[in-house]
Amino acid sequence: MPLLTVNQLDKTVDNNHILKNIDFQISKGEVIVVIGPSGSGKTTFISNLNFLNNADKGEMNFRDKKIDLSSPKKDDVLWVRRHIAMVFQNYNLFKNKTALENITEGLIHGQGKSRDEANQIALEELKNVGLSEKKDAYPSQLSGGQKQRIGIARATALKPDIILFDEPTSALDPELVGTVVQDMDHLAQQGQTMIVVTHLMSFAKKVATKVLFFADGAILESGTPDQIFNHPKEKRTKEFLSAIAEDR
Amino acid sequence: MKVIKILAALVGGLPNTITLLIASFIFSSLIGIGVAFLSLQDDKVGKSVSRVYIGLVRGTPPLLMLLLTYYGLPKLLSFIGIDSNNWAKIIFGIFGLSVGWGGYMAEAFRSAYLSVDEGQIKAAYSVGMTGETALREIILPQAFLIAIPNVENLLIGLLKATSLVYVIGLADMYQNASNLSNVNQGVYQLKIFIILALIYWILASLIEWGFRTYQSHFAHVEA
Repeated sequence: MPLLTVNQLDKTVDNNHILKNIDFQISKGEVIVVIGPSGSGKTTFISNLNFLNNADKGEMNFRDKKIDLSSPKKDDVLWVRRHIAMVFQNYNLFKNKTALENITEGLIHGQGKSRDEANQIALEELKNVGLSEKKDAYPSQLSGGQKQRIGIARATALKPDIILFDEPTSALDPELVGTVVQDMDHLAQQGQTMIVVTHLMSFAKKVATKVLFFADGAILESGTPDQIFNHPKEKRTKEFLSAIAEDR
Repeated sequence: MKVIKILAALVGGLPNTITLLIASFIFSSLIGIGVAFLSLQDDKVGKSVSRVYIGLVRGTPPLLMLLLTYYGLPKLLSFIGIDSNNWAKIIFGIFGLSVGWGGYMAEAFRSAYLSVDEGQIKAAYSVGMTGETALREIILPQAFLIAIPNVENLLIGLLKATSLVYVIGLADMYQNASNLSNVNQGVYQLKIFIILALIYWILASLIEWGFRTYQSHFAHVEA
């Protein structure tokens, strides 16, 4: 029984058909990696799962609740966001909040926890990513890698059913990618359900339970990492895989 | 004429200058916040009202704004049965400057609000904040910091604009300087106006220093 199902997700912006009738599902514990050329709709797709932009058409079925993706109810949106967290390409840490507050904000204002309880959870999360000593630092005082690890801690603190990763390592200097990938590996091993948009093929090969290849707003091909990377069927998939440098 | 005598005469106008500056700053900020809020609504009427106000205010010289207030406001008030004949002149000065500066303040606040990175708003929503909470916790605090340099410029501009209240016969520092020069047949006018310029410069420096100190507390928040 899938945890999340999306049916016929469709979106057009200024005559550009960005998402074309996407059908998608993910079960608990799965790690689905989304690959594809830029502009193929990957980011729009996962942003839609968090209602960060609106679809023109489509339906979501999450934890046995049906939600219309084109005109969701306000309460449903908040409810979904409480259970599906997101990690952004550009970290998007709150600039006016410390590392600790970045993690507690969602716990307090999204989940209604007390400040004490939120602080406790946040300190634990910071410890998990090895950044306890940075708890009072502001984003401007952190390196890219540290920012992204706090971005991940901010998401995991919410104990979400699913975490969406939107190219979490693309903005990082190459030498900082490793620590962030380690955190993601670790999460996957713990059974965290994840949807990851990435160009990191090594991560996809090692961790993914399923790989989706996006092209022109549609899922052109999907399968296990072995199927996609070693025996791709579609010409576009083959071209994409041979064109990208290994682990950019 | 001794410097100390000139200084005493000019500083006599300082309380009015300071009152005009502080009161107009407070009221123009409030007008600015209100108008910026209106201009950011989807509501077409609110948007139009704010656009017309900002347009009129920006297209009117501050001097004229004071004259219009001084001669026009009593007429407007008399329509609704309020007699403003005995009101202190400083009220008209504050009103004129506040209305005149409110438009600039509105633009400063509006542009600051729009400069808040969209990623910040997305992140706020993604952790489950409602629109109101995101506004209160994330957007407004950041917009406020972005607005500060513009607000500082506007405050210094306002300081200088307070010298225009002589047109409605209000005794501020400039009016005192002008009077002192006239009663001495203009013999000391250069000396008087240099001293006046120095006083304005000191006041502007104090404002700069205040803002610098305030901003240094937020140096860790990248705009």
